[in-house]
Amino acid sequence: MSSIRIDSGWITAGLCITLLTGCIPAVPQDLLSELDMIDQDLIALGAPYAAPEEYADFARQWAALKVQADVSAELIRWPWESNDFEEQLRQLHAQGDDTVALVTQKQDDQRRTAKATLDRLEERFRAMNAHIDSLGGHLVLGEQPTHTDLLIRQTRTYFEQDHYTRAIHAAAEANQALQRQEAALTQALKRYADPQEIARWQAHVQYTVDWSRIHRSPAILVSKADRELRLYKNGRNVLSYPIRLGYNGIKNKEFQGDGATPEGRYQVRAMRGKGETQFYRALLLDYPNAEDRRRFQRAIQTGQIAPTKTIGGLIEIHGTENDVMAQTLGCIMLDNPHMSELFSHVTTGTPVTIVGATSEQNTIALALEDLSHYHEPLTH
Amino acid sequence: MTSRIPASVLILTILIAGGCAKPPSEKLEAAEQAVKQAHESGANLYAPEEYAKLEGNLAAMKQEAADQEDKLALFKDYGKAEQLAATTATDAARIATEASQKKEEAKTAALQAQQIAQEAVSSTLELVAKAPVGKDRAAIEAIRNDAEALKASLTQVQAALDQEDYPAAQTQAKAIDEKSRAVSAEIQSALAKVQKRKSPTSTHKN
Repeated sequence: MSSIRIDSGWITAGLCITLLTGCIPAVPQDLLSELDMIDQDLIALGAPYAAPEEYADFARQWAALKVQADVSAELIRWPWESNDFEEQLRQLHAQGDDTVALVTQKQDDQRRTAKATLDRLEERFRAMNAHIDSLGGHLVLGEQPTHTDLLIRQTRTYFEQDHYTRAIHAAAEANQALQRQEAALTQALKRYADPQEIARWQAHVQYTVDWSRIHRSPAILVSKADRELRLYKNGRNVLSYPIRLGYNGIKNKEFQGDGATPEGRYQVRAMRGKGETQFYRALLLDYPNAEDRRRFQRAIQTGQIAPTKTIGGLIEIHGTENDVMAQTLGCIMLDNPHMSELFSHVTTGTPVTIVGATSEQNTIALALEDLSHYHEPLTH
Repeated sequence: MTSRIPASVLILTILIAGGCAKPPSEKLEAAEQAVKQAHESGANLYAPEEYAKLEGNLAAMKQEAADQEDKLALFKDYGKAEQLAATTATDAARIATEASQKKEEAKTAALQAQQIAQEAVSSTLELVAKAPVGKDRAAIEAIRNDAEALKASLTQVQAALDQEDYPAAQTQAKAIDEKSRAVSAEIQSALAKVQKRKSPTSTHKN
């Protein structure tokens, strides 16, 4: 009989052991580890900023479930028993996967946007610089191009450091700086696109050509926008030469040292041949004439020019002293062979008309038209 | 004279007394304060992702506490909220320390970049002073403008440093340094050209 009692005890113990070893932990550690990995991935991807709402929802649930996991760490359950906690973890796992995919997508989009913005910005900056160079407008803009350049460099650095939000922000600032440059250039050069001003210049041109025809004499016409000097004889354009202007030549001369080239109707007052000028050959003009003096006095009286300024003078059409110093202050400079040829065709008293442009379709007006597109947004 | 209290009443009293759990206000406030301190340490700038996670945990803690608050007194259990508060406070302290370290590193890097930029600008300004004058005015005037703009931009670096936005300060300083070097190279090239020929003095007033 005793042997039967022992057997039943063993059976009970065996059954208990079998049942206990058949139990599984209520908290699935593998799922917890995977969720922890997802959380780390989301942090590494910058989810809190790329998808703040989605990440906050995930983080809130994950924090609560982690606490619950700590509390229930020792609990076990039957394999067939339903487990709400595990189900919650699985749901969060799926949600986390979706958030990772969303953030990755958003980051890719942001990177593409930042790249496209930067490329477009740099393209605009290059185009703007080309216009500034061709217009000789660097001085008109003062320090602005450097500030814009610095902003674009910062944009590129942020982009290269994967700081896309900062890159896009810096790009927007740089674009505003470009727009300010465009506005400053337009303000300084708008007269080249002003029909009334063009008509006035065209009248000057016509007068000069007519004068040449009527007097059967040479006359010189200078178009600043076209960077061209034309020699008329008997009303016909017989020679044309490219010219260089002063460092601020696109502006009308206001005072001594402004680097601007005067506009108006002048005459050759003196001819300086070999040995009489340091610029190969020179034709001295009668700047300032009566009209220039009136305008200068008006500008002083209205406070446009400081009373300490002087009107300047010694404006010439001249050759080049040497290749290195091939730049003029407010004069009109020709290559020496052209200067030599021109010198042989003119005399003291030859009219010289200097205008901004001869047509509405001048290079400066066209450049300003092109620059006006800079108001379009950087991204489409 | 011993009065006999019914067992059911006794059990109910114990349950009600035990169930009347109060919110762990001090711990919740301490966690919130720790997150605030982490923010003040610059965690939002220097450990932004970690800080955002911290804010998420804080939100979870508040939500859990609010959920328990809404329950009947008998069923209130602030255990989870308390644990979340403890985790949040611990994490906040760790992140605050890390952020402080990163902030110091960023400050050092920004100050170093500022010094490099200042030296580059000084060097450019010295070169501008040596730049050839005379008839080659356009380029020189433009370069002078560039140098002045660079000098002015250094104040922006200082402003970013004052605002403790060290990444911005460093990026600005780097841009200034690069541009200064480019301008200096331009001047050196002009100087080299001029040195090849002796430049005559202009007699023009213009």
